[in-house]
Amino acid sequence: MTAPTTIPWLTVLLVLPLAGAALCLALCRFTRVCRWLAVVVAGAELLLAIWLFATLGGGAGGEWLLYEDASWIGRFGIRYTLGLDGISLLLVLLTAFVQFLGIVVSLERRDHIPAFMAMLLLLESAIIGVFLALDLFLFYLFWEAMLIPMFFMIIIWGRYERRFYAAVKFFLFTLGGSLFLLLGIIGLHLLHAEQSGTVTFSLAALQQVQIPPALAPWLFAAFFIGFAVKVPIVPLHTWLPDAHTEAPTAGSLDLAGLLLKTGMYGLLRITFPLFPEETQAILPPLAIFGLVAIFYAAWIAYAQQDIKRLVAYSSVSHVGFMVLGFAAWNTTAMEGSILQMFNHGISTGALFIMIGMINHRAGTRQMDELGGLWGKTPILSAFFLFFALSSLGLPGLNNFVGEILILIGTFQRWPILAAIAALGVVYAATYMLRLVHGTLWGPEMSAEPWPDMTWREGVVLVPLALLVLWLGLYPATFLEPLREPVQLVLEHRLPLPPLPGGTP
Amino acid sequence: MSWHDLVALTPILILALGSAAILLISAWHHGSRLPQLLGVFLALAAAAAAALLTPPVEQIAGLFSAGLYARFFTVLWSLVAALTLLLSGRYIAEQRFAAGEYTCLVLFSAAGMSLLSAASSFVGLFLGLESFTLVLYILIAFDKQNPAGAEAGLKYLVPGAVATGFLALGIALLYTAAGTFHIPAVMLAIGSGGDMQALGVLGMVMLLVAVSFKVSLAPFHFWTPDVYQGAPAPISGLLSTGSKGAVYAALLTLLAGTQLTGGSLAGIFWGLAALSMVVGTLTALRQSNIKRMLAYSSVVHMGYVLLALLAGSTDGRSAAVFYLVVYTAATLGAFAVITSFASNGHEPQETEDFRGVGFRDPFRCAALAIFLISLAGIPPAAGFVGKFGVFYAAIRADLLALAVIGILSSLVSLFYYLRFVVAMYTTAQRSALVHFGTLAENTVLIICVVATLVLGVFPGRLLDLIARILP
Repeated sequence: MTAPTTIPWLTVLLVLPLAGAALCLALCRFTRVCRWLAVVVAGAELLLAIWLFATLGGGAGGEWLLYEDASWIGRFGIRYTLGLDGISLLLVLLTAFVQFLGIVVSLERRDHIPAFMAMLLLLESAIIGVFLALDLFLFYLFWEAMLIPMFFMIIIWGRYERRFYAAVKFFLFTLGGSLFLLLGIIGLHLLHAEQSGTVTFSLAALQQVQIPPALAPWLFAAFFIGFAVKVPIVPLHTWLPDAHTEAPTAGSLDLAGLLLKTGMYGLLRITFPLFPEETQAILPPLAIFGLVAIFYAAWIAYAQQDIKRLVAYSSVSHVGFMVLGFAAWNTTAMEGSILQMFNHGISTGALFIMIGMINHRAGTRQMDELGGLWGKTPILSAFFLFFALSSLGLPGLNNFVGEILILIGTFQRWPILAAIAALGVVYAATYMLRLVHGTLWGPEMSAEPWPDMTWREGVVLVPLALLVLWLGLYPATFLEPLREPVQLVLEHRLPLPPLPGGTP
Repeated sequence: MSWHDLVALTPILILALGSAAILLISAWHHGSRLPQLLGVFLALAAAAAAALLTPPVEQIAGLFSAGLYARFFTVLWSLVAALTLLLSGRYIAEQRFAAGEYTCLVLFSAAGMSLLSAASSFVGLFLGLESFTLVLYILIAFDKQNPAGAEAGLKYLVPGAVATGFLALGIALLYTAAGTFHIPAVMLAIGSGGDMQALGVLGMVMLLVAVSFKVSLAPFHFWTPDVYQGAPAPISGLLSTGSKGAVYAALLTLLAGTQLTGGSLAGIFWGLAALSMVVGTLTALRQSNIKRMLAYSSVVHMGYVLLALLAGSTDGRSAAVFYLVVYTAATLGAFAVITSFASNGHEPQETEDFRGVGFRDPFRCAALAIFLISLAGIPPAAGFVGKFGVFYAAIRADLLALAVIGILSSLVSLFYYLRFVVAMYTTAQRSALVHFGTLAENTVLIICVVATLVLGVFPGRLLDLIARILP
């Protein structure tokens, strides 16, 4: 355990965006100040995340890399426990990065900027909270708190009249799942209280509970469905395309890049360690669900006219790969899945950002109205092609690495499923190429010239492209911190808290 | 009644005598804001007296308790009265209400609620309940220009009178069964069996009917929406928080020593709680008027509190009290926003009236959104911790079915709460009918918002306090 200093960095990670959001709301009369305040806060958060990633990269001998613990609501035994391991480290880095891009992309918005920035920062704080919380009550608090900024982003800054439908559907779906998660949390807590006589919501303590066999499937279902809605595992995915279509660019970026990851993280961090036997039992059906998602979503993506909806469905398809990787339950596939969570945030996020840029110029996202972008804006189009290729899994780019790891891992367990899933990559190529074909090539949609990439767009796109290359060519940087935590996940264990006295 | 009793009664005396004094003063200061400001001051003084003054006796004349629990609620209802008065300044001026009478009645109702929450004898319970109910009959119909107000007054009066009948008969039966008015002694007598037990249980059922009328549990809730809609908005706020909370506070004292689950009354409690949650939710779904929506949703909330009481034990009882506090902050706040939007006699109530207001009035709409989110039970607002406590206690008491009904109803509740939040942020058209609000109104809103958020993030202190004061 090597804590960099005695400063509680995890709390800083949480509070920094929160403070930024509060300042933005307080200074809501000064739009310019708020814009740059948000950029500075998100930038500082990103630097902090990068610094933590750089210093904490290695293993920690089965312990949390960083750990904080304090009493919070004594009566229910609720504690403020935060912990960071390799998986959460990677996801915190992704969150800080994506959210920084989201804020930079939104700088040119004109409508209610301070509130918008405040919502983005609140969301950042809540998502980082989800990735760090180790007390189930605290986790649930952050989990639900994510919904509110997202809901407002869709209803206030969404595009069409359907945004209310989309926002309410999003809210009801995810809350419906998570209320049963709450029921499960309380149930587990009470079992623990019965068995040991102490009240606690600590994940590590609840792992020790002996669950009566009659109750186990129900508790597992509560813990599984709550997260499965957010992932989303296929029959529960219908909120996602609607929410994406109506959300503003930064909102889609957060939905695809981050919110989906919270569902998978919940499975990895909470459901799998708590229910070893049930998890093992559900792996084969989970693999089938993953496989169905890959093809079904790809098929629907292919049929879309709205390019944003197309990318939204492609997200569901990519998620299918990650679910398949979880189900294979070996080191290679699991590492691939977690890396893919990161990759997907980068590539799909980049595509959503670019769709926002195209939409800003063209005023439409319908494929039959678009076309011929290559002739108008060659640099922007090159980037679009690049990210589309990364998304369809071109070797040398990021998604390829994740998908190949998942496929290799799955092949070790279920060769036939892996072979079928590999065909899914072909499907990805068909809808992605259709997207590229419909927007970049073909006759130009209008004669008037468009501005090519602006410097602000460059600031967003160049780092994304570099990251795509980095992940594609030298993924070891990002796989290294995963090695030890993935091993623990596979053994249904959690990293240990540092010995008492060692806590900062 | 001895000197010690009077000292112990100080906060209530401040409210009641102050109320009479204001009535006199207003005869000379007609149309000035003095009575109202004085009323706010007196209510705060009563809250301070209840909080700081240690009473020399435990029981006041054998009718009321002077314990920590009673003092806690005296503080709460005095603060509610202070906030209501602070909120009503512009409203009553624009409606040309008689400020003196209005202030006097609000203070007196706070005295009644405090007495009811403190009742330790059935006589005290009856006195407290009737004293604030009578006041509310007047306050609800205070707006003489508004026919809906008169209708609301009548709709509250008739069920109120029926409830009083039930209450009186119930108390009479309980007295027959136990031979005393002292609440713990009566409950002990009924619990211990004997020849008169059936009579006692019948008395309890009648009492429960009266309680259900007052806190509007389904199926005794039918008066609620019309009264909320017709009454002046600040009075609807007082009605939905103080009058219901005080009745529950008394019911909690009543049930303090008894174990409900498995008892003869458990079935009735179960049915009332389940029905309230289901009926309230389904009816609230259809409302496009915010006051009616809040009325039906209050039926659901009262069902949650009953669920907590049914769960019993320290967990359930403290969850009930905590829920009441949280509900009070959010509901009072929501009605404060409606009051603050009202201009020249027009209260915006329909979803249409709220369209686009969010962009013109970011602060007050954000406040309303926070209150509604708290009522819906989404963290980090306090409503979440409140609901968490209720469901926690319910599951712990093996009331899984009710907990699931509660969780489902709270999921559906999102739909009707969010409808108004959504309306506020629709740009389609902008309501021009909304007043810009005053400093006093904004102060009330800030207090409610801070209470809602602070209790949501740091509920520990209040939970510990409640666990300590429970009877």
